[in-house]
Amino acid sequence: MNALIGRRLLVLLGVIAALVLLTGLGRTASAMSEFQEAQAAAAAPAGQAGAKPEAENQAKQNADKPYEEVAYRTFPVVGSRVAIWSVAQLHLLFAAFVLAVPIFAFIVELIGYKTGDVRYDRLAHEFTKLLSVSFSLTATFGAFLTFMLIALYPKFTNYLMSVFSPTFLPYVILFFFEAFFLYTYYYGWGKFHPLVHLGLGLGLNIVGTAIMFIANAWLTFMTSPNGISSKGAVLSVWDAVHNYTWMPINVHRVIANVAFGGSVAAAYAAFKFLQSDNDEDRAHYDWMGYIGNFVAISAFLPLPFAGYWLAKEIYAFSQTLGLTMMGGAFSWLFIIQAVLIGNLFLAANYYLWLGMGRVEGANPLQKFIKYLLIGIALCFIVWATPRSIIATVSEIRAMGGSSHPILGYLGVMSAKNTAVNILILTTFMSFLLYRRTGKTATVAWAKKGHAAQLAIFATVAIFVIFLGVYGYFVEATVRIGLSVPQVLSVLFAMIAITAIDVFLFRGASRTGEVRWGRIPVISQYVLIFIAVTFTWLMGLMGYVRSGLRQHWHVYGVIRDQSVDAFTPTLGFATKVVSVTVLLFFLLIGLVFWISSLHDRPDFGKKDRTREDSGEGATGVHGAHSAHT
Amino acid sequence: MRVPHIVRIGALVIATTGFYTYVGQMVPQKEVQAPKETALGAGMSTADMVKIGREIMEGKGICLTCHTIGKSGALRFPDLAGIGERAKTREAGLSDVDYLAQSLYEPTAFVVPGFPPAMPPVNQPPIGLTDQEILCVIAALQTLGGTPTVTLETKHKYNSGAAAPGAAPAPAAPPKGSQLMPAVPKLVPLVAHHVPAGMGEGEARLAAAHLAEARQGEGGR
Repeated sequence: MNALIGRRLLVLLGVIAALVLLTGLGRTASAMSEFQEAQAAAAAPAGQAGAKPEAENQAKQNADKPYEEVAYRTFPVVGSRVAIWSVAQLHLLFAAFVLAVPIFAFIVELIGYKTGDVRYDRLAHEFTKLLSVSFSLTATFGAFLTFMLIALYPKFTNYLMSVFSPTFLPYVILFFFEAFFLYTYYYGWGKFHPLVHLGLGLGLNIVGTAIMFIANAWLTFMTSPNGISSKGAVLSVWDAVHNYTWMPINVHRVIANVAFGGSVAAAYAAFKFLQSDNDEDRAHYDWMGYIGNFVAISAFLPLPFAGYWLAKEIYAFSQTLGLTMMGGAFSWLFIIQAVLIGNLFLAANYYLWLGMGRVEGANPLQKFIKYLLIGIALCFIVWATPRSIIATVSEIRAMGGSSHPILGYLGVMSAKNTAVNILILTTFMSFLLYRRTGKTATVAWAKKGHAAQLAIFATVAIFVIFLGVYGYFVEATVRIGLSVPQVLSVLFAMIAITAIDVFLFRGASRTGEVRWGRIPVISQYVLIFIAVTFTWLMGLMGYVRSGLRQHWHVYGVIRDQSVDAFTPTLGFATKVVSVTVLLFFLLIGLVFWISSLHDRPDFGKKDRTREDSGEGATGVHGAHSAHT
Repeated sequence: MRVPHIVRIGALVIATTGFYTYVGQMVPQKEVQAPKETALGAGMSTADMVKIGREIMEGKGICLTCHTIGKSGALRFPDLAGIGERAKTREAGLSDVDYLAQSLYEPTAFVVPGFPPAMPPVNQPPIGLTDQEILCVIAALQTLGGTPTVTLETKHKYNSGAAAPGAAPAPAAPPKGSQLMPAVPKLVPLVAHHVPAGMGEGEARLAAAHLAEARQGEGGR
């Protein structure tokens, strides 16, 4: 009886929700239309005295009115910029996820194929389940963004279309292939020869990346225009595509998407782990979370280097743009970024250290953790120290300026570059410790190998710190160049130490097994925290990339003449980012739920199961009594 | 009572975004308005020009984004304290006004030793100061260790009509009624080919395009 009432109530609620939704849509459209008409009326010249002649005049004017393309329209309540901003951000977050998941699903499937371990195949399939719903949402938000651009910024959108019209057809064709590969990859799981299926996965990745490259051309052109005259006329479409920031953004986004996708997939695994009611599922989702997080952090480590390249290209295009980013209106944004990245490093390391507990024989390595923690905390503190601080007049007088006499030295790039490089190196060492947990190297040169690894680590750490300190005593022209050897030495250390480690632990003896699923529950919340932080970071960096243009639609060429042609406060920007992130997680929760429907028993089977267990009796009787 | 995981997850997501929003409120809050054309009256005194020049340096000119006033140590760009006095003797044969004008119109003609040649010409987009606004900036710079002498009638080699390497003309005010238009200055055809080496390459290309158009305009007259 109760079940029947519940179902009827659900149906009723569904109908009501649909009606409310339709009414809401109708009212929104009507409000927008009235808003535009009111704006047009306000902009029109004042009529003559007398209501009737005025109306007649208006009617005559309307009859003869020529077509005029408006430059801007206003979105009610929040304004056009915030509306476009939120929709674009949501589109980008889903697009990043949709591009990232196939990359590691393909890699995981390939590992499964090579090793013959079916766990990898199951894992890759589980990742892919999240894909189809996300793909639809990405396309929906993409269409939404396009319509919003056409409606709110018609003239500027028209200009962009005129520049990039030759890229549209390839984009649509690639999108069609994307859909083909995605659905055959998902629905064809286990239906084709493994190599054919892997080929579909490869095709999906190639096409997805190509789509992103095309879309990146449009947005990077706005920041670093190329291939046009000073008045905006197109000289070369290829040059417009191949602008200064195009390739750095392409590379940065591929890496960042993998990191982001990995973190969201790890959050999905955490969500499923927390819902699991048996050890087998817990073991599977613990493993899935670990792999997702491993992918995320592995991609995250080289990301600052891609960021360097992007920043370098921004400076190469325009010193003014670069200085606005690092020293002007956006300089404090990088302090917020430091807090986020610091949190990511701390959380990632914490998760790894918690994960050591699931490996038997991990104790000897756990003693090193406190030193790593000290190193990470120190780097975090240095990185988050601003050059100038907010202070009262008396405090500024006491300090002799807006910089603290001692801590101010930590606010400059020499200190920050050093901190971030050491942070990366420390997190890499954390990974390395985790990797060798429960293993003992058995090769004859094991001692020498360990010593070589330690020597490389120590030498590079000292070298990076030395260059950081040296930067305080040299001229600006020399100091700027010091970041390159810092970055290269850290990259060298990571590659060299990993290479040694691979050979060192080949045929290693095991001191203990990995007990998947045996990890404190808090670790799963850490994975969710990492995913939220990654998402928020993407929102923030998306804002700086776009906001950097300030009052320009196309930097230095087409000026923004709208009411939104100003750069909002960072406080406002962070509020918009937060709302968008919350919306994204609400929607990704929906994706998780829809994906989980796949594993549910069929409706009929569910009823039979209930009936068998005696649960269904009430329902059946209830249904019967309802009919009588 | 045991709190369901889904509620905990929701609380964690909200708390995390809330924390980052809070961090965003803790940093300095500054709304940067799009630069406006500065209204300069014909009878404006030098003192008025100094005042406007300082405003331009902090705002539209974005000078203080890179330059400091009264700082020492590991600076990325030259400190401006004392520039009013130093400008008189920095380059042989150039008066303080000529040197300051050269630094603003053609910044890489002379680069202070030890600093990168990174300053863009301020009379071109995206900064795009007018000749008169630049005179105000020169007046403000002269007060840093010296005495302002310029007026709106002051001539130097970049606004007098005499050919000068790399000198680009002033942008004109945007046409009224156009809501979306290329922000290209109306060019006076007096300019040479030289593109300053320290500019960003993109800026250099745009500058070259401006110069080419200026030459076309010259031919058309």
